[in-house]
Amino acid sequence: MDTILDEIRTRFAVTWEHEQRPDLLQVGVEPVTVVPLLTWLKAHTPYVQLTHMSVVDWLEEGQFQLTYLLTDPEGFRSLMVVTRIDREEATAESVWELWPQAVTYEQEINEMFGIRFPGSPRQGVPFILEGWDDIPPMRRDFDTVEYMNAHHPSRPGREHTDPRTYVGKVVGEKGYLHD
Amino acid sequence: MTDTKRTLPVLPPAPPEGATPHAPVDDACFLGERPDVPKLREALATIKNWFRANSLWVMAYGTGCGSIELRPLTTARFDMERFGMAMRPTPRQSNVLIISGYLATKSLKRVIRSYEQMPAPKWVVGLGSCTINGGMYWDSYNTINRLDLYLPVDVYIAGCMPRPEALLAGFSYLMERIKKGEANGWHHYLENLDWYKENQKKLITDWDMPDYNW
Repeated sequence: MDTILDEIRTRFAVTWEHEQRPDLLQVGVEPVTVVPLLTWLKAHTPYVQLTHMSVVDWLEEGQFQLTYLLTDPEGFRSLMVVTRIDREEATAESVWELWPQAVTYEQEINEMFGIRFPGSPRQGVPFILEGWDDIPPMRRDFDTVEYMNAHHPSRPGREHTDPRTYVGKVVGEKGYLHD
Repeated sequence: MTDTKRTLPVLPPAPPEGATPHAPVDDACFLGERPDVPKLREALATIKNWFRANSLWVMAYGTGCGSIELRPLTTARFDMERFGMAMRPTPRQSNVLIISGYLATKSLKRVIRSYEQMPAPKWVVGLGSCTINGGMYWDSYNTINRLDLYLPVDVYIAGCMPRPEALLAGFSYLMERIKKGEANGWHHYLENLDWYKENQKKLITDWDMPDYNW
């Protein structure tokens, strides 16, 4: 792990790194470095498998965090390549030519977060949602209650209990939460 | 809309005096409108409802987590076959549709299709809180909150999740209602088809199937 990390540091501009577990390392890079880094990792290191792609919406900072989880199938260890892209012009480079299964991840990310992967097949093709006409639902500025009120009529008489106030009330009255 | 609306069977005119009814296919056709008919028809309906209540064939289709509770019903411990209930693999062979738990908008489309393909008489059982008022998914962008806006529900079974005992109680209630001739949700669906279709199309924006799926 350490030699590979040293090589990554030497060859690519690593902005930050974090050892989450002995077998799980996080490496942060600029968006332009992602595809060269992944190409090099696949060609020259045991991290040959793309296990997962995920997104975090950093609304306040105006950024999306893209994570590529690579796995070493023989060494049972993983490497996360993390990058941040601009939230307004959310475009990232596709990695589907390195791993064909990335097509599905990129299709889902495109639908759920609205991030575009130019050149990737099946961009804009519905993955889970059908006939969706609002902003992508996994963006944090999507108001799910407002959408629900507009589209899904509720049965009158339902009471809502906000967990935060309810727990505070119960603990304040009884001193504990559960019997 | 109107051309696809299935009208309820219209009774044929009474046969002329002294005529012998031939080849009775349906009791309505056979009985006509003679003065002694209502009682006889009532008796026939009672018998038919008794048979119907004791041979509920359930479509083996689960929309949400509630379908987990349907599995124990089929096995030895709860054993729904002693009530004459059986799981069927296709809507064409079943007459009970169970909406088991949360229902996504995407599934609703398939459920409507399946429901309309089922032969009448047919009944819908709403299982779990999600079908009643949205349950714990009440604020989800993708699950419906009230099933009865889209399909005629005959019995609701509350709970999250209802245990198999609760399901059996619900099915017993459904059987009672069928025997009394009260479970007529499918009549309601056909009589108010425009209202149901309006609700369904309000939610399903990419309607790409026939107005009524025979």
